[in-house]
Amino acid sequence: MTGQTSGAVARTGNNPFLRIVAAISMLAGWMSATMILSAVLITCQMIWIRFVLNGSTIWQTEAVVYLMVAATLLGLPYVQRLRGHVNVDLIPLALPRPLRKGLAVLTLSLSIAVVGVMLWYGSEFWHFAWSRGWTSDTVWAVRLWIPYLALPVGFGLFLLQLVADLVAVILDIDTPFGLEDA
Amino acid sequence: MDPLLLGLIVAIATILVLFSGVSVAVGLLIVSGGFLIVFDGVRSLELMPEIFFGKLDNFALLSIPMFIIMGASIASTRAGADLYEALERWLTRVPGGLVISNLGACALFSAMSGSSPATCAAIGKMGIPEMRRRGYPDSVAAGSIAAGGTLGILIPPSVTMIVYGIATETSIGRLFLAGVIPGMLLVALFMVWSLYQTWKTGDVRLIGATPYTWKQKIEILPRVLPFLAIILGVLYAMYGGIATPSETAAVGALLCLLIAMIIYKLWNPRALWMVLRDSTRESVMILFIIAAAGVFSYMLSSLYITQSIAEWIGTLDVNRWVLMGAINVFLLIAGFFLPPVAVILMAAPILLPIITTAGFDPIWFAVVLTINMEIGLISPPVGLNLYVINGIAPEIKLKTILYGSLPYVGCMIVAIILLCLFPGIATWLPNAVMGGA
Repeated sequence: MTGQTSGAVARTGNNPFLRIVAAISMLAGWMSATMILSAVLITCQMIWIRFVLNGSTIWQTEAVVYLMVAATLLGLPYVQRLRGHVNVDLIPLALPRPLRKGLAVLTLSLSIAVVGVMLWYGSEFWHFAWSRGWTSDTVWAVRLWIPYLALPVGFGLFLLQLVADLVAVILDIDTPFGLEDA
Repeated sequence: MDPLLLGLIVAIATILVLFSGVSVAVGLLIVSGGFLIVFDGVRSLELMPEIFFGKLDNFALLSIPMFIIMGASIASTRAGADLYEALERWLTRVPGGLVISNLGACALFSAMSGSSPATCAAIGKMGIPEMRRRGYPDSVAAGSIAAGGTLGILIPPSVTMIVYGIATETSIGRLFLAGVIPGMLLVALFMVWSLYQTWKTGDVRLIGATPYTWKQKIEILPRVLPFLAIILGVLYAMYGGIATPSETAAVGALLCLLIAMIIYKLWNPRALWMVLRDSTRESVMILFIIAAAGVFSYMLSSLYITQSIAEWIGTLDVNRWVLMGAINVFLLIAGFFLPPVAVILMAAPILLPIITTAGFDPIWFAVVLTINMEIGLISPPVGLNLYVINGIAPEIKLKTILYGSLPYVGCMIVAIILLCLFPGIATWLPNAVMGGA
């Protein structure tokens, strides 16, 4: 079966590192939600200008798309903390506690590795856009390092939350996969 | 290595990784990264973030968070209960009116909220105890709500259909229209079964009509009609060519938020934050899978797997309906374990060339695929809706819920067979409204 909110929010106990990471992820979640709300408002403003005032719009379409991309990337750590990334927890549910913990350590380590790759090459991609002065080929000609910045920041914060989750599982502060024992 | 053999290895690796409990999106990135390193070298990984960003850099995707905000605003209010009450008051004199109004409320509310669990909870909390009190069998009370809750991914506006449209580059407008008649067909099949089962095993003496005055019937409408008007307005604006799905969905999202604040007094910052938080969680989860599936499909294509599978299927001398049967079984099994969005995103790039080569209409296929995903939501022992019903109606045994839902799975299979026999059920409306494809 699929799990999404199988457990409550990831636990932090009294561990200062986990609490700081949780606060950072929460802040990223707030920013992500604000960006989505801004995208709603900007799209409505665009429709108002185009259909009611019969004017033309220049920056709105591009801005809302970049806001949505940034909201997705910045939202990753927050959703991870809320255990909102959907997974299939059939095998973890069937395993006894020690094996379940081992599997959680393995999957979190693999997740950290692949998100590390995304962070590394995402930073490289952002750096190219910044150092070469790339701009989008639209009238607005936005400097692309600005939207691309969401890649290193989003994946960086996501990596931090994944490391925190791994620490919490290893130190037995949180249960593997957020699953409670039956 | 032979691309087909490689495809088989990728499929096995993907299943293993996804079943390990890792999140679906990260799992897709792990599999993609692993195979890219082995077969294309480490430097091929540098494209992953660029493809990830590129997949999200699409205005059409904006409709997903917008429709989710619309749904979350509606789901955060008492609109579900009001809708249920309104239909109950208006349909009270229809024989078996209560189960009919429950299914109608499920269909409307799941379409408006786009969420199966939210529908089961909103309608079921009131509907299930009332049905049991009035002599309906437990299996019908639980099964009808579990099945009714699945309708939202078929009846427009449906996020699942948007994701299919984006993954397969088919018109979202056509897809929305294609879901309307099959959605009504499913509601009708559910109603027929519920009434038959109630007549056979229910306590018919108790199933009497509760009289309502016209005042009671009218006074509930102002609380229900605004949301329905917005949904219909959004669809009208889309089909009238006034604006794109993303633009109309943004206006719909704002209006639903405002109505939730004005009519349902949702102006407490905490309640508003809950709506935004739930919308953000749902949107980020789906958009992350979309972007990761983009990287996954790049890996498949880069290793020549997608093309080889399509060519291989083309050379197979099998009846196209046997092929469709096999695809349906595959989707059904995938739907047991994975959310509809993940199944569509992973399967669409592989299945679309196969079904178009075999001469099937992608719009029709979207409806068949979606009904398969609905079956996954109520199939024992894994269907999510069954456990939601178990949570809100603990007095009904889980076994009764599981057995009660099975006939509704049967109704969905009947609907798929009818769609195969008469594809026009799905394709007639989009062709009539938007012209031939």
